[in-house]
Amino acid sequence: MKKILAILMAGVLTATAFAGCGGGGESSNTNSGSSSKSGESSATGVNASTVDYAYFGEEDNVKLKVWAPDAAVNLVKQQIEEFKKAYSEKKFDITVVAQGESDAATQMLNDASAAADVFSFPSDQFNKLVDAGVIAPVAKGFTDFVSTSNSEDTVKAGTISNTLYAYPETNDNGYYMVYDNTVVTEEDAKTLEGTLAACKKAGKKFIFDAGDGFYACTFAFTAGAKIDGLEEDGTQKFVEYDEDAAVKTLQAFAKLIKDYKGTFTSLNVKNVASGFKNGTCGAGVDGSWDTKVNKDSLGDKFGAAKLPTINVDGEDKQLVSMFGYKYIGVNGSSKFPNSAQILALYLAGEECQKQRTEELGWGPSNVNVQKDKVVTESPVLNAIKAQAENSCTQVNIASTLWTPMGNLGNKLVADEWKPDDADATRKLLQDTIKNVRDEG
Amino acid sequence: MIKSYKLRRHIANGLIYLLLIILGIIWISPFIYLVMHSFRAEGLIAVDHLIPQQWTFKNYIDLFTGVGGNASINFPRWFLNTFVVAIFSCIISTVSVLMVSYAFSRLRFSARKKFMNVGMILGMFPGFMTMIAIYYLLKAMGLTGTLVALVICYSCGAGLGFQISKGFFDTIPRALDEAATIDGATKNQIFWRIILPMSKPIVVYTVLTSFIGPWTDFILAKIIMGDNLDNYTVAIGLQKMLHNDFINTYYKQFLAGSVVVAVPITLLFLKMQKYYVEGVTAGGVKG
Repeated sequence: MKKILAILMAGVLTATAFAGCGGGGESSNTNSGSSSKSGESSATGVNASTVDYAYFGEEDNVKLKVWAPDAAVNLVKQQIEEFKKAYSEKKFDITVVAQGESDAATQMLNDASAAADVFSFPSDQFNKLVDAGVIAPVAKGFTDFVSTSNSEDTVKAGTISNTLYAYPETNDNGYYMVYDNTVVTEEDAKTLEGTLAACKKAGKKFIFDAGDGFYACTFAFTAGAKIDGLEEDGTQKFVEYDEDAAVKTLQAFAKLIKDYKGTFTSLNVKNVASGFKNGTCGAGVDGSWDTKVNKDSLGDKFGAAKLPTINVDGEDKQLVSMFGYKYIGVNGSSKFPNSAQILALYLAGEECQKQRTEELGWGPSNVNVQKDKVVTESPVLNAIKAQAENSCTQVNIASTLWTPMGNLGNKLVADEWKPDDADATRKLLQDTIKNVRDEG
Repeated sequence: MIKSYKLRRHIANGLIYLLLIILGIIWISPFIYLVMHSFRAEGLIAVDHLIPQQWTFKNYIDLFTGVGGNASINFPRWFLNTFVVAIFSCIISTVSVLMVSYAFSRLRFSARKKFMNVGMILGMFPGFMTMIAIYYLLKAMGLTGTLVALVICYSCGAGLGFQISKGFFDTIPRALDEAATIDGATKNQIFWRIILPMSKPIVVYTVLTSFIGPWTDFILAKIIMGDNLDNYTVAIGLQKMLHNDFINTYYKQFLAGSVVVAVPITLLFLKMQKYYVEGVTAGGVKG
């Protein structure tokens, strides 16, 4: 009896497992179908962020869901009202739901058919979304216009095997240095030594999250070990670099950290704003997404600059960071693929990008908005732009990058680490690269 | 060697109490920290010092009045959702658990033992194993993102947890049933009129466990609700407050919210405490 029961149970379990697979397979089928459909219907190119009604095809009474990060929800709602006005002949029912960009890919992969039709996400989620086939490429007729109206870098990063997969939205997804300008002067902020000395003098902290690979990769990148895309099997590639020089740079970092123990603190970036508010933090490295809260905490004392330089053997080396972009993507299993493409095109268009820059301080990817004075006169966006020139692009990143990089950071800031020990530093660097490439 | 028995006992007791006090402090300190910092006024997120420098009720007031200016975070709504789900799943699961236990304890039917075994085996699989299957089944029924789906999930499988209350029913003498049967009572009447009034402890135990479930469950609620913020329960809602987009504004409200969540459960516990221990121990006796 027990045996029969066991067989029954096993049968039920396998059945459920297959049911799960079935669902997944179906959704990916429909998505490839719909994306090709949306390509066909738009035969000729467009040259503005609003298009001819012909592009809608047969679609009317359109029902769409949009995911926007929480801070942008209200603005996106206004923009959608404008969108409806622009296409007043069609009926729309568009809902905007707050969804953090960092989880966008995860939520899409959970169940694409229940996810948003139009969603924004950062560039590092590209491979995940494309591999899973849940994202529809930019409609063919729109590609040329999107490629020419946005900055070359963002388009390049959004193109995988000659297909542009999403509409560039921002050109600012990176970190820079924020400081309290009563503690750190503009001159101090140019060098890491100057910044740390100023913070120490005022008895305040310099916050850098050395334990998080996203920030800690700065150590390796500055040392010369920059990433260079992926190999065919998905292993992270690195550029050729001079190991002796890299070791020296890492030693310089470790020495500086040791010299300014108590000032240089490795804490989560959320502590930067908190530290500014209660006056314990003098400067820190934080991302564009926290600009608003940092500004609110500091008020007039807010200062922004690109990451500082570090002195290695008498030579000032610029810190190199990780830098990415944000995109607006279209769900491959959307029921209204053409309308979703048209909405994404609109939201990623010049006017909408300009509004987001003005109201939210997001750095635009649109070339025209980039020339606008809201961008050129913003100290934060200038700092981000300057840092972007010294950065590695956050696309084609192997998932194995983050942990070893965080480990490298943690080791360098640890109390027991000896900056003078070149051999140990060399081994640490070699191990880190090995672990990232998963050869360990 | 200490000769005096009294002294030896005092020293032994002293050591034991010292150990208990240390364990007690370790156990309770996170709660004290949570409660204290939910009244903290300064700072945005975690602070370095253990004891807040300024005290305020503002976090609690903000939590319920929606200050923070964010439409996505609606704690009162989430609290109400959870409360409604908890009440419904509590009623449905209590009734179903007790009925199943009664049937297994009192009625004799073919395949009774087999059903009990199936129940045992199914109960051994952790709930989240079937999570994906549940999600797609609910989706097929068009229930994803609704509170009804949560009630279904929390209460419909509840009957499988019959073991403890069956154990309790087994200890009630069958002679009572027989006497009632002789007097003309049906099985149904026996259950409602005779067995239930005698089983207060186990009823209370069942009510408590099924009421707490929805307040603490995270994974199932998370996967069912998806992005439907209006129908979030407190567990996923509180986690939402710690998301990167919100943490700077909502960290202190999160602390306050965590304290508030404990209130309904604590009240119910206090009210029903005296039966609770009796229920847990009584059910453990195998009849």
